Amino acid sequence: MAEYEHLEDEFGNADSSRRNFLKQSSALAALALTPVAASAAIDNGLDEKMAAAFEQMPLQVDINGTMRKLSIEPRVTLLDLLREQLHLTGTKKGCDHGQCGACTVHVDGQRVNACLTLAMTTEGCKVTTIEGLGTLDQMHPMQEAFIKHDGFQCGYCTPGQIMSAVACIREGHANNPDEVREYMSGNICRCGAYANIVDAIMDVKQGGVRV
Amino acid sequence: MTKDLKNPPIDRVDGRMKVTGGAQYFADFELPNMAYCVIVGSEIGRGNIASIDTKKAQGAPGVLGVFTHQNMPPIPGWDAPVGGEADGPAPKPDTIEKYRILSSPKILFDGQPIAMVVANSFERATYAASLVKATYTKQTARTDLEKHLAEGIAPGRPGSSDYLRGKADGYQSAPVTLEANYTIPVEVHNPMELHGILAHWTGTDSLMIYAKTQGVNATQDAMAQAFKIDPKKIHVHTEFMGGGFGMGLRTWPQETAVVAIARKIGRPLKLVMTRDQMFTLVGHRPYTVQTINMGADSNGKLIGIAHAATAETASYEDFTEATVNMTKFMYECPNVSTRYRIVRLDRSVPIWMRGPGEATGAFALESAMDEMAHKLNLDPIEFRLRNYTETDPEHNRPYSSKNLKEAYQRGAEAIGWNKRKNEPASQRDGDWLIGYGMSTGTFNAFRWEASARALLNADGSLTIQSAVTDIGPGTGTALTMIAHNVLGVPLNRIKVAYGDTSLPKAPTQGGSAIVSAVGSAVYDACTKIKKQLVDLAVKDGGQLAGRQADELMMADGMLSIEKEPGKKVALSDLMRTNNLTVIDKSADSKGGPELGKYSMYSFSVHFVQVRVNPLTGVVRVSKAVSVADSGRIISPKTAASQMIGGVAGGIGMALTEEAIIDHRFGRFVNNNLADYHVAVHADVPAIETIMIDKPDPIINPMGAKGMGEIALIGFAGAVANAVFNATGQRVRDLPITPDKLLRAV
Amino acid sequence: MNQFQYTRVTTPKAAVSALSQENGTYFLAGGTNLIDLIKREVVVPERLVDINKLPLATIEKTSTGLRIGAMAKNSAVADHDLAKKHAPLLSMALNAGASAQLRNMATVGGNMMQRTRCPYFYDPSMPCNKRSPVQAGPDKGQPNGPSGCGAIGGINRMHAIFGTSNKCIAVHPSDMCIALVALDATVNVSGPKGDRKIPFGDFHRLPGDAPQKDNTLLPGELIMSVDIPTNKFADNSHYLKVRDRASYAFALISVGVAVDMKRDTIQDIRLAMGGVAHKPWRLTEAEHFLRGKPATEANFKQAATIAMNGAKGYGENDFKLTLAPNSLIDALKTATKTA
Repeated sequence: MAEYEHLEDEFGNADSSRRNFLKQSSALAALALTPVAASAAIDNGLDEKMAAAFEQMPLQVDINGTMRKLSIEPRVTLLDLLREQLHLTGTKKGCDHGQCGACTVHVDGQRVNACLTLAMTTEGCKVTTIEGLGTLDQMHPMQEAFIKHDGFQCGYCTPGQIMSAVACIREGHANNPDEVREYMSGNICRCGAYANIVDAIMDVKQGGVRV
Repeated sequence: MTKDLKNPPIDRVDGRMKVTGGAQYFADFELPNMAYCVIVGSEIGRGNIASIDTKKAQGAPGVLGVFTHQNMPPIPGWDAPVGGEADGPAPKPDTIEKYRILSSPKILFDGQPIAMVVANSFERATYAASLVKATYTKQTARTDLEKHLAEGIAPGRPGSSDYLRGKADGYQSAPVTLEANYTIPVEVHNPMELHGILAHWTGTDSLMIYAKTQGVNATQDAMAQAFKIDPKKIHVHTEFMGGGFGMGLRTWPQETAVVAIARKIGRPLKLVMTRDQMFTLVGHRPYTVQTINMGADSNGKLIGIAHAATAETASYEDFTEATVNMTKFMYECPNVSTRYRIVRLDRSVPIWMRGPGEATGAFALESAMDEMAHKLNLDPIEFRLRNYTETDPEHNRPYSSKNLKEAYQRGAEAIGWNKRKNEPASQRDGDWLIGYGMSTGTFNAFRWEASARALLNADGSLTIQSAVTDIGPGTGTALTMIAHNVLGVPLNRIKVAYGDTSLPKAPTQGGSAIVSAVGSAVYDACTKIKKQLVDLAVKDGGQLAGRQADELMMADGMLSIEKEPGKKVALSDLMRTNNLTVIDKSADSKGGPELGKYSMYSFSVHFVQVRVNPLTGVVRVSKAVSVADSGRIISPKTAASQMIGGVAGGIGMALTEEAIIDHRFGRFVNNNLADYHVAVHADVPAIETIMIDKPDPIINPMGAKGMGEIALIGFAGAVANAVFNATGQRVRDLPITPDKLLRAV
Repeated sequence: MNQFQYTRVTTPKAAVSALSQENGTYFLAGGTNLIDLIKREVVVPERLVDINKLPLATIEKTSTGLRIGAMAKNSAVADHDLAKKHAPLLSMALNAGASAQLRNMATVGGNMMQRTRCPYFYDPSMPCNKRSPVQAGPDKGQPNGPSGCGAIGGINRMHAIFGTSNKCIAVHPSDMCIALVALDATVNVSGPKGDRKIPFGDFHRLPGDAPQKDNTLLPGELIMSVDIPTNKFADNSHYLKVRDRASYAFALISVGVAVDMKRDTIQDIRLAMGGVAHKPWRLTEAEHFLRGKPATEANFKQAATIAMNGAKGYGENDFKLTLAPNSLIDALKTATKTA
């Protein structure tokens, strides 16, 4: 227990729910907060809900303009949080290891791989997904351009391609087709729509619409 | 009444759903009380599970069950064929061992599922899966085809038998001969969407499945067999599929297992496989070794070709494909023999991968054609033209249509073939060597049976229905165009519903055959509606009473007299005056016997320019032109996308793709998308696509042949030929990575 | 992933303190490698200490050169005017690595800490001395799967040709570090026993008998920043990365070249290579040879021969014995504009 009191002096408040839980739970207070101990707690017949409570942490994050107050396991990735808990399934899982770009979202305006982002690290951040970029009724210019240039076939990598494409222009890395190809190489399209995607991005860039 | 005109490019009908994230793929569906399944794979390639400890996993938070061969719920149709097994009759059961998932401790291939773990969250299922520990009694895993080539067996399936025209060794006596071996490594489909399934038992014998399948009807049939229930009680939905490339051509054992476990736990169950499991559990393009012997006379006429191929398959299933077929009919040649063998290894079973065996075979044949052209000091196109054939020499019958000469010519113009020098390694741009190459591709054009339904509504809108899955080629868009061409209903008033077993039965999306099959059914159903409309209009008292059917045309939602533009009736008015709320027509469509009089093929020609760095061996495709001779193009925009997709896939096949096994362990070492290199944006240049766009008069009423396969078939050969032209180095083992071109300075 | 504790810290002091407390604790920065390793069960952490909120992302000019904060994102450094102006080699190397998304996540410190991409290391069912060292002691890594080296006698096309041991032939995968070792950077670290500076060339280590140790950081130490001394290489720098596809792939061979040219003569030069060793490989003897010599292909060839002294292939990677010197020549030609 002393160890955690010590941490309380040193650290911010991210640990509060756990600490509170510990303080309230004399049965568990003696246990170190390790996964091994957590499963031991289960083995010892303690209620699973209790285990869940001490496996979850609070998270506040702005997703597509809405502040969400969540309670999640720290091992949950931003991708799985979006898809499995928040029902924002436009963001896709293609590899789960940062090797394909299908899960590309914006965190504080920067394109990132949601599969390698622990959701907890987005505390206080603004997350934008494909659902937050445009809608069926009001599409983003990049979404329009992808349709115009047929920048997809099966459509699975498309949300990631579009989020990446928007960022590519905002970053200033869309000055010519070769630069676009290089800076879009983190988004794999197995159907091979690359040439059309590059056309779509150059069209938006040259159209001069603010993205 | 139907005008045979080129079709205009139209936007993909499902585009808005796809760009907004609204398109729902199987894993995007969420059901109340849904549980998550994770597969634990074997860590050995051959042997037995000695022990398996699931206690820790079972005790982990949120776990609902851990299923192994010791407690797998029974699958009543276990020994019935589980749908879509490799073509032709299955081999006799005693000649080959069986693989039934989680049915025995026997391990037949690395990555074979040894447990399936179910929990109430994805994270919990994944973690619990890591707690399952097995020990094994290992046997040597035979995974290296090169070491077992002598064990090839003739598959004994129709279409796989040895072929002979003229003399088998006819090439030997030719003045100019060539013998060369070509190798294709294991390639993996790797669609961007991970495979899996979401299964929900809605009653004791009724089932809802969200699948990743290229054919919902095939999945329905497979599950009906496996669970011995009425197919009508099984509803399969795959409106959107994140790429297939062949891996969704069958129902895989783990899908069946998920359905069985879902029934056992009484909850909807979702499996999303991991990327590494995509290398072992959903097929691959088989490692294939080929030998071509070729002989020609000094005038560049082929005298003989012998083409032999040996490919890997699993120990438990004989997979075959048409690797050597192109050689039989592509060129005029009096002496042709082909031979195809498979070797049963301790590997998971292959499945057709885009272009399938024909792409493997075309790499060898079209590389050999280039090698021979070089020996003869002939331009590679000229060499092909000297051996061009207007009739199919394999079957001695005409082609239904063939415009390949025009394709050679137009592609050559577009790439700037006249800049190519026949002398290899003779062009530079700074330090980089420049080369040009070309290759031909061909694939069967089919017309399979299919059904479709068309409903013309009182407001003039049209609904088209078919169970067919659109895996990305733009099937829905093409069907919309076909309906529009028949009925003249404006494109934005046509809705197409597909990818669901509640809709009229359709074949599995594959073999470049869907526009021909389902498109014909849509054509027929719409034609029935048209006939009824015309009858209503011209009957006594009708708006166009007394007119002849062939005076009429349909456009813009109107039926009108072609030569009297003012004389017309809106379809909605026609229906209202006849008290019709809907005209509902279905069609079961198939080709007639006259198709058997022709050989039906699509053709493609690929041209590339490459740049090769002689110091580093790096190859870049700097220009690509692909020409398709595939009949009337129904949807030019999506068709062009298929062609550029073939180029991207072809660049990967030629330069980067290879799944590597450490044969000591029988296990992949690059089973991920960082180390298995599919082409990325930077690998793919701007691409020019050319459509010959001339209707085939035989195959179907639209005159359309397929193009999904020909987009890829031959492309790798064009790259290898261009690399030779650039460097003088012939690489016969794909992929052409820098190490294969290195020469010490 | 296993359940681990998660702690967020906002000061370097708290970070160091947290890491020092127990085994199985890891700093979490960009996570582009660590989360991957956890998903593959190569790393099974007890606790992650999230250091993303540490105020260590500044990129600034100092009296002696450039100082780049350890938490600066790879993309921010690559695109920063100071880097482009004073250390273009660093900018080029960063942009040659990974993807735009990963560069937005990965930090300078994290990039230095990334583990090898050897496939045997990533698969706990395969033998690996780096993942499962045989020896005991305080430096002992997490025993996880069989020990031995799968790559020796196995699939080793990507592996090292310099400084290997019979325990490990893995390569360090970073591009950024090739530039930093070439540019004589210094690493500033803070630990339980105070602050210290580590010359970049001493930061990573060769595998020897302890391949589980990638670097010379002491337990509990946190990378604070990297210093790059002022140089005259801005006009003649080049980073060449030879890989199996045009982008988004690890290097077969990479070469960092930074030259101070006076007319056609090489006044001063820095050379380093990636994809060849367990650490960023500085080519000091080749530099020495070229210093003061005219930039000619003949001299480049001789330098390349010198650079390859002691190189050794392991079968599948024998081609690197050719590719490495060829790449060095190619990069020298580009950097000196003699191509």
